Amino acid sequence: MNIAEIKQKTNPFRAYNLALLFVFVLLIVWSWRSTEMGIKLLLDGWRNMIVYIGGNPEIKNSGFFPPSGSVPNIVKYLVLMVETVQMAFLALIMSVIIAFPISFFASRNTLEIIFPGHRPLDTVIRKTIYMATRFLANLSRSINELVWALIFVAAVGLGPMPGILALAVHTSGVLTKLFSEGIENIQGEPVTALAATGAGPFKVIRYAVIPQISPFFVSMILYRFESDVRAATILGFTGAGGIGVYLFDKLRSYENKDVTTIMIIIIITVALVDRLSAAIRKKYT
Amino acid sequence: MNGISAENVKLGYGDRVVLEDVNLTVAKGEFISIIGPSGVGKSTLLMAINGNVKIFGGEMRVFDKNLHNIRNSALKDLRSRIGVIFQGYNLVKRSSVLDNIAGGMLRKMNPLQAAVKYYRHDQYVQIYEYMRAVNLEGEALQRCDRLSGGQMQRVAIARALAQDPEVILADEPISSLDPVSAKGVMDTLQRINRQYGLTVIANLHQLDYARRYCNRVIGMNGGRIVYDGKPEGLDNDTIADIYHGSRENESVFGAHGSVFPVAAEVVYDA
Repeated sequence: MNIAEIKQKTNPFRAYNLALLFVFVLLIVWSWRSTEMGIKLLLDGWRNMIVYIGGNPEIKNSGFFPPSGSVPNIVKYLVLMVETVQMAFLALIMSVIIAFPISFFASRNTLEIIFPGHRPLDTVIRKTIYMATRFLANLSRSINELVWALIFVAAVGLGPMPGILALAVHTSGVLTKLFSEGIENIQGEPVTALAATGAGPFKVIRYAVIPQISPFFVSMILYRFESDVRAATILGFTGAGGIGVYLFDKLRSYENKDVTTIMIIIIITVALVDRLSAAIRKKYT
Repeated sequence: MNGISAENVKLGYGDRVVLEDVNLTVAKGEFISIIGPSGVGKSTLLMAINGNVKIFGGEMRVFDKNLHNIRNSALKDLRSRIGVIFQGYNLVKRSSVLDNIAGGMLRKMNPLQAAVKYYRHDQYVQIYEYMRAVNLEGEALQRCDRLSGGQMQRVAIARALAQDPEVILADEPISSLDPVSAKGVMDTLQRINRQYGLTVIANLHQLDYARRYCNRVIGMNGGRIVYDGKPEGLDNDTIADIYHGSRENESVFGAHGSVFPVAAEVVYDA
C-alpha cells in the first residue's frame, strides 16, 4: 500500500463517508416532513401546556397543583405502588426463567457447544434452532407490553395477573436478545480448555460461559427491572392492575391534583429502584 | 499399551496437510519437549494427541485407541485422560482458583453438583492437593484475574492435574511469561512429571529450558520431525538443522549469542 492509497483510505471526507452523511441527512428530512414536525407549532402552542397544567378553565379544581394531600388517598396509592413493584418483580423472575435457558440456544457460540460437529446436518440443526429462538424472542419483544396486557386481560380478566404475564412475555423477549448478545461476546479460550477435558456441553457452559457473562446478566436484569417498574405503572390503563388503574381513572375524571400525587410517588419509587439496582450492580460486578 | 504411537502419520486441517511422516513412540513418564521455528507444526503434533487434528494417513494410537475414527463419547473419554495447558492459560478469569481447578474434574462430577458448584469433601481434598502441587493453596479463593501470569499458568497446570490425566500436553506454556515465572512453571511441570509419573509433552521456544528439564527432545522443521533424542545430542549442527532457514534464528541464540539464559534463582512470583 503506498502513501496515496493510505491517504485516500483514511481521508474523513472521502466520497463514501460523504455519501453516508447525505443518506443520513436525507432520512432526517424525510422523517421530519412525513411526521409534520415543526418548531413553529411548539413555539405558538407552548402556553397551552401551562394552561393544561393550571387546569381546564371549564372544570373547577382541575389544576395539577398543589398535589392532593389526602392521607387515605396517599395510603391507597402507596399500597398500589407496592403492588406495581411486586408485579414488575414477579414478571422479571418469570422472564429470567424463560430467557436464561433460551438465550444459550439463541447464541451461535453456545449452540456449537451444545450441537458440535461440522457435517452439513449439524450446521442445519444449529441454524434452525438459532432462527427459531431468535424469531420467538423478536415476536415477544416487538409486541408492546400494553398490547400483551390487552390480550391477557381478555384471557384471565382484570387485575394484576394479566399485567404480570404481559410484562413477563415482553421482557423475556428483550432479555433473550440481550443475554444472547452477551453470550456471543465471551472469550472462547476457557471453553476450549474445558471441552478439552472431555466435559459435556452443560458442564462446559456452567463453568466456562456462565461465570463470564454473569456480571452482564445481572446488569441487564436490573436494567429490565427498572424498565418493568416504569412500564407497570401504566399497564393499569388496560385494567391490568397496579397504580396505573388510578392514574388512568384520575386523569379521565380531571382529578389532576391526585394525578400529581401519583406521579410524585412513581418518580420517588423509580428513583429508589434505580438507587437499589445501582448498589446491587456495584457490589456484584 | 498405555503410551502414544504414530506410524507414518499425516496430519492437517481441512484439506491442508501440515505434517508428514510422523513416526513417534512415547512411553509413560517421559518429559518431552518439541522444539522448532514457528509454523512448523509443533502445535499440530501436540493437538493431534488430543484428537483435535485431522489424520490424513498412517496410524496414530493413544492409550491403544486409534485416533483415525474416534468420535463422541470415546473421544471425550480419551480427552479426559489428557490434560492440556495452553499458552494463554485459558482460565475463566472471573472465577476463583478453586473453581478453575474444579473445572478439570467436570467429567467426573454429576450435573447437579456442577450446576450449583457443590464439591464433596474428597473433591476439596483433591483440589487442595493440586493447589499445593503448584504452590497456590494460599490463593484458593482469589479470582484468577488478580493473579500474575506465572500463577495463572500454575492454576492451569493444577486444572490439568485435576483431570487425573495420564498425559499432560503443554502448548507453549511459558511463551508469555517472564524468565522467573517461566522457570517456576517449568519446575512445576518437572515436579508433577516426577511426583505423579505423568507423561509431559511441551512445545517450547526456549532451547535452554528444553535442555535443562526434558529427558527427550523432538526437533521439527518443514513439517517433519528432524531430531528425536536426548537433549545432550543437541549440538550446534543439529540446532542449525532444526532452525535452518527460520526467521527466529536470532531469538533462539539470544541477543548476545548465548543460548537462552534462564533465571538462576527460582522465586515463585507472589
